[in-house]
Amino acid sequence: MSTSSSPVVPPRVYRLVQGAVFLVLTGVIVAGFLGSIPQLDILEQSARNLYFHVPMWFTLMGATILSAYHSVRYLQTGDRLRDIRAREAAWLALIFGLLGIVTGMVWARFTWYVGTGKWWNFDPKQSMAAVLLLIYGAYFVLRDSIEDRDTRGRIAAVYNLFAVVTMPFLLYIIPRQLPSLHPGGEGSPAFSQTDLAPAMRWVFYPSVLGFLGLFWLLYTQRVRLAWLRDQLRDEPDL
Amino acid sequence: MTVHPLHTDDAPSPPQERPDTASAYDSTWTEQPNTQPPDDLEQVMLADGKIYVVLAVVLIIWAGLIALMVRTDRRIDRLERRIDDTGSEDTRQ
Repeated sequence: MSTSSSPVVPPRVYRLVQGAVFLVLTGVIVAGFLGSIPQLDILEQSARNLYFHVPMWFTLMGATILSAYHSVRYLQTGDRLRDIRAREAAWLALIFGLLGIVTGMVWARFTWYVGTGKWWNFDPKQSMAAVLLLIYGAYFVLRDSIEDRDTRGRIAAVYNLFAVVTMPFLLYIIPRQLPSLHPGGEGSPAFSQTDLAPAMRWVFYPSVLGFLGLFWLLYTQRVRLAWLRDQLRDEPDL
Repeated sequence: MTVHPLHTDDAPSPPQERPDTASAYDSTWTEQPNTQPPDDLEQVMLADGKIYVVLAVVLIIWAGLIALMVRTDRRIDRLERRIDDTGSEDTRQ
């Protein structure tokens, strides 16, 4: 049906990424704990969470966009592998989003909300991220509720496109209009000279790349496995 | 000759110790009612400049990745069992 009907990744590429991810993330953990950071009140050493909490959301963003891309391709070609790719990318997006939200809860609880006992503080970004995770959770509920495989693929793909459109609004646009614990209210933190100290960039950017690489490894593993399972189901003898 | 003292307004300000944006967040986010005395968990987490918060965050991510690995592993198990089942049927026939 389509030329892309094999989920196998060139082994050399896979091993290269694997090695790079291992080295980069090891370096990030070491430098993340030992590197020097600006001394700020309230934040103190917990500013190091930037290296671990924020890449979760970058990974979610990358995963949802990848998932939406494969949903579009599925609608164009009807290639079942595209549907599998979209599902696995969305699943990992959900996992990384959950890790992001739980790490954010712990960070806020023991940094800005000491003495209040508040685990959930209704920060706009926190609440909107929770809404986003519910939207992506519904993707799987929708998928599992449809028996026929082609119908399921098509409806899930269309829903996935709706879900990805909400992502920038829920994670960026709406939270930045409201007073928030998160940076971005005064303009894009990406171009800000004050939101991220220069010394921290050297750990933060590799961390984002490392976690994106880790996502890719997990994603290709899961796609290969799901594809295998899908093929076995088709075998009349099995 | 009169010496005009420099206006005190222009006296060099003390070196800025942190970026301006931080103060904006400080003013917004320090005013949480601090009603309870720190409990045991907080005493642990706030020690040594809150470094244990970072440790907790890293451990949560680590646990999540391990859980993901276990799930994938279980999936592989199921697949292997299915292949094994069909294999044994083949030998019986």
